[in-house]
Amino acid sequence: MDRPSHLALILDLSPTQWHLCAHAPAHPLSLRDFLAQTLAFVNSHLAAKHENSLVVLGALPGKSAVFYPSEDVKPRSRPIADANTYQPFRTVDSAVMSRIMDEFDALGLPAEEEPTALVGAITKALCLINRLAHPASSDLTPPETRVLIVSVSPDLSTSYIPLMNSIFSAQKLKTAIDVCKIFGPDAVFLQQAAHLTGGSYVYLEQREALLQYLVMSFLPAPSLRSVLSVPTQEKIDFRAACFCHKNIIDVGYVCSVCLSIFCTPVPVCSTCRTKFPISTIRRLKASVPSSLVNGSAPATPRSSSPAPIPSPLRNGTDNAPIRPTPLRQSSHT
Amino acid sequence: MPPRRIHKDGEYMDVDSDSDVSLNLDDDEYTRPGRAPKASGSKSKGKQAKKRTDKVKNKAKDAAYSWEESYTRSWDAVQEDEAGSLQSAVQQLIARGRRRRLLAPTAAIRRAIIRHVIIVLDLSASMTDRDLRPTRFDLMLEYTREFIVEWFDQNPLGQIGIVGMRAGLAERIVDMSGSPQDVLKAISERHKLEPAGDPSLQNALELSRASMTHLPAHSSREVLMIFGSITTVDPGNIHDTLTACLDDKIRISIVALAADMKICRDMCEKSGGTFGVALNEGHFKDLMFELVPPPAQRAAAKAAAAGAGAGADLLLMAFPIRLPESSPPTMCVCHSELKSEGFLCPRCYARVCDVPTDCDVCGIMIVSSPHLARSYHHLFPVKPYQPVMESSGALAKTCHGCSLGFQDKEAATASAKAQTAEGVSPLGRYRCPECHNDFCNECDIFVHDVLHVCPGDR
Repeated sequence: MDRPSHLALILDLSPTQWHLCAHAPAHPLSLRDFLAQTLAFVNSHLAAKHENSLVVLGALPGKSAVFYPSEDVKPRSRPIADANTYQPFRTVDSAVMSRIMDEFDALGLPAEEEPTALVGAITKALCLINRLAHPASSDLTPPETRVLIVSVSPDLSTSYIPLMNSIFSAQKLKTAIDVCKIFGPDAVFLQQAAHLTGGSYVYLEQREALLQYLVMSFLPAPSLRSVLSVPTQEKIDFRAACFCHKNIIDVGYVCSVCLSIFCTPVPVCSTCRTKFPISTIRRLKASVPSSLVNGSAPATPRSSSPAPIPSPLRNGTDNAPIRPTPLRQSSHT
Repeated sequence: MPPRRIHKDGEYMDVDSDSDVSLNLDDDEYTRPGRAPKASGSKSKGKQAKKRTDKVKNKAKDAAYSWEESYTRSWDAVQEDEAGSLQSAVQQLIARGRRRRLLAPTAAIRRAIIRHVIIVLDLSASMTDRDLRPTRFDLMLEYTREFIVEWFDQNPLGQIGIVGMRAGLAERIVDMSGSPQDVLKAISERHKLEPAGDPSLQNALELSRASMTHLPAHSSREVLMIFGSITTVDPGNIHDTLTACLDDKIRISIVALAADMKICRDMCEKSGGTFGVALNEGHFKDLMFELVPPPAQRAAAKAAAAGAGAGADLLLMAFPIRLPESSPPTMCVCHSELKSEGFLCPRCYARVCDVPTDCDVCGIMIVSSPHLARSYHHLFPVKPYQPVMESSGALAKTCHGCSLGFQDKEAATASAKAQTAEGVSPLGRYRCPECHNDFCNECDIFVHDVLHVCPGDR
């Protein structure tokens, strides 16, 4: 553990989701408890090594903000020295708490909550990591960097492309993205983020034990993870969001020119304005996918599937009834 | 080794026009002791470069020796200011980069993303020439390896094949493959690729064409040729081959290591590729790596004529689920091996070992969505930031990206005002036209070159 470690902590602060989380039937966790445990984790990161650095960012509805280090600490929130507290801890804790309170006060009461600006927070964290990775003076050793996302909101499919771009930049910066999912359904894109950058994705089952999860899985730097047994992901969903309706899909139609993904066959690509041949669309609508993938030859699917092409399959490609048979055949060979 | 050396020297005299240059080389270095030894590569190059009519980098035609011109320019560009610092020179370079980016079209352009490239390597005796260090051959192999890694990183759905030109024949070194490991393995054994004889352009093109004819119409077909010789031994009329390549819509790009050849230039211009002669090691690499990003389909007019979007198609693709190592082992459909990790086809739940692939059971194309997503930044680029020219009104204290403070305003204006180049902000601030936030220089570059997402909230 020679190199110092830089942690960018991104807190997902969606008021609605936190309200739901605090009133969850099993293992509720309120925002106040969450913050208390997270700050303890933050302090232990700072205490682990003198050179360790920290950024705390918040993903608020429609806005991302840097909580620590913050330039404009108001005089009223400046901490009073306390003989019983280590001063750096106190600085961080009070800065984060007061900034969160300020941001929540500024939110007001909108009729409908905007989705949280998670991508904004990740990109800001990466911008700073980029500055740290290329220090102005060369005698500074660049720290080991990682991003920890504490997420409560469900996947936001509109931010699919920006999020993927951030993931690839994180890969280039050799920064691991860790995800701690506290509440809500599994986040497909964050799973991919953790998988692609070599971080770990942890879904909290016992929410009140948050601090233990944080300390056991996310405190050690990524270089130490190989020695420890950090929880790994069960399975990773490589699904994508379609460009037309932002649905998350597992079988999609892809434009061969620009690779835009659509959930239904479309006549014109909305991204690159390519017109697709009518024959293709007709074929896809008739749900005979194997003929398309093999390029041509409408005779092949007809001979392989005795089922008539038109009506029974029209309602969807996913549950095509012919599929199980060939699977069984191949497993025998 | 001595006998071999002699043999090689003999070859120099026979086939290579560079021999006199390599003899002159020592004198040059004696008379100009100030030169860095690295110059030798570009200098010996230049003797042939003299023949060129127009070159990529060298614009001064009236200079005595074109290589000297291009060489001095590289340090003329770096000039110290009064204080002896190189700040201004660095700023100039950044400014040039910025301007190039501002000129680039911001609209979504069509790009061929499913690419197929045949790399044609010259394995003729001229590749043993030492004007590029250590030898042309070794350098070519090294750069080809780097090129392949970078290329697959940016074009994950593409395929690369390699053809060698040796002793008048074209040899298939590796078939079209989508896996970088396969391709790299094929060129890892240096002794199998030892250069010999003369190259044949026609044979190489015919072989490349033959290996790409079966490809679907929507994929791009490209040939990247690294050509070190200034001769070619062809069995027939190369123009017929060229016409056939044009009919097959093969785009030919050539990086020449020796000289500008008319036939090479013609092939590239007619097929829509690029042609360049490497001046030195760095330039060689630049020329190759220019071909890494997918080419824009600038055939807007051409495509319209050929029935808009001919070759465009809608493909059905499946995004799999990756199984962990801890899952119970099952047979995979591709190798029939018992394994626990792998990918599940979402349509038929067959287990395949690797993606991208075609499902062996239901035939659907299985790709992982990150593969596709890697190319999306070509489609949705970030709008270039506008430099903030004067400090009017209230300016944010910190950069919106890295949240570090901007540099001291007074100092910045004093030093930068003198040599403000076009496109460089004297305040070191760049404003996003969409979110109207200010960014520092480093973040501006990072956002546009790596991140491809504006950190501003929209």
